[in-house]
Amino acid sequence: MTEQTATFLYGVVPADVEPTSDARGIGDPPAQVTMVIHRDVGALISAVSLDRPLGRPEELRGYQQLLDGTAAVAPVLPVRFGTVLTDENAVTELLAEYHDDFRAALDELDGRMQFIVRGRYDQQTLLTEVLDENPEVRELRDEARRLPDEVTVPLRTRLGEIVNQAVEAKRNADTEALADLLRPIADQLLVRPATRETEAANIAVLVEAERIEELEKAVQRITEDWTGRIDLRILGPLAPYDFVAPLQPSAEV
Amino acid sequence: MTSAVQPSPLGSGDSSALVDVVDTILDKGMVIDAQVSVSVIGIQLVNIDARVVIASVDTYLRFAEAVNRLDLSEKQGAGVPEIVDGVGKQTMISKAGEILGDLANRER
Repeated sequence: MTEQTATFLYGVVPADVEPTSDARGIGDPPAQVTMVIHRDVGALISAVSLDRPLGRPEELRGYQQLLDGTAAVAPVLPVRFGTVLTDENAVTELLAEYHDDFRAALDELDGRMQFIVRGRYDQQTLLTEVLDENPEVRELRDEARRLPDEVTVPLRTRLGEIVNQAVEAKRNADTEALADLLRPIADQLLVRPATRETEAANIAVLVEAERIEELEKAVQRITEDWTGRIDLRILGPLAPYDFVAPLQPSAEV
Repeated sequence: MTSAVQPSPLGSGDSSALVDVVDTILDKGMVIDAQVSVSVIGIQLVNIDARVVIASVDTYLRFAEAVNRLDLSEKQGAGVPEIVDGVGKQTMISKAGEILGDLANRER
């Protein structure tokens, strides 16, 4: 049986972007990334085998590194991981049919990059705050301690539920405080869902290249305010994963 | 202007932790499906553990346990064990196979 191959689509870029010969994407060994071009837009692609599922860690990394590396030098519309077309001709047809949508989106993203600002609570500080601010939590905890474990499941569930609500309220407040700080600097801002119980904030921003320093300084300032309470990190520059709209089926087809 | 694309040097830093990669790219990026192009192939993707916090009784009991240990550790000066990160919801990245007939199967 011959190997089935197709074309993996990473992202859409202006036609004057040029992948270097060492640009590698997904695959084992990682496939060379090339471009197909239609007029002034192009697509970053590589051949992909259909013989096994996609999504191994090194493939996810390869995909992200290629797109982030591209975003550092040119506007790029990252295409959702796992988008595969039959062949290069199909990619060219896609570029032709949606040329105007791609062009408009690329123009809008020109000179802008995505960053993700994430904060994580120090667990001990977080829970101490909750305990100090909620007398009911302390009472329930003390009561649960007095009784044998097997009879305190409802009590402990109630206790944990109140703690969880308090943590969610803190997360909302801290996320809002961080968003207020970032909003004047960002072109666009998106609050991402929490991925950890101790997450304090997870915010994606799209910023102009000239304002990256401003962003870093703002994050630095609030990092100092939150020292010991929230550990804040900034990821990027990234391709604008959170700021590309789904492609709408064209009306005339 | 010609821009030479190279793998991101930044990708090798903070963002190379797999959990960050998954959180950054999973279910993100421009959706191009079969409604957009009939040439989109449904391809099978590896199961990836999408980390989404969904509060449940488990979460509550973990928080209760953590609060219980907190005060004890204040007295004993011991560290607090970490709450288990994330609840861990198994999702497929995408049921891409449903998008359109699987080319690999058709041609086999």
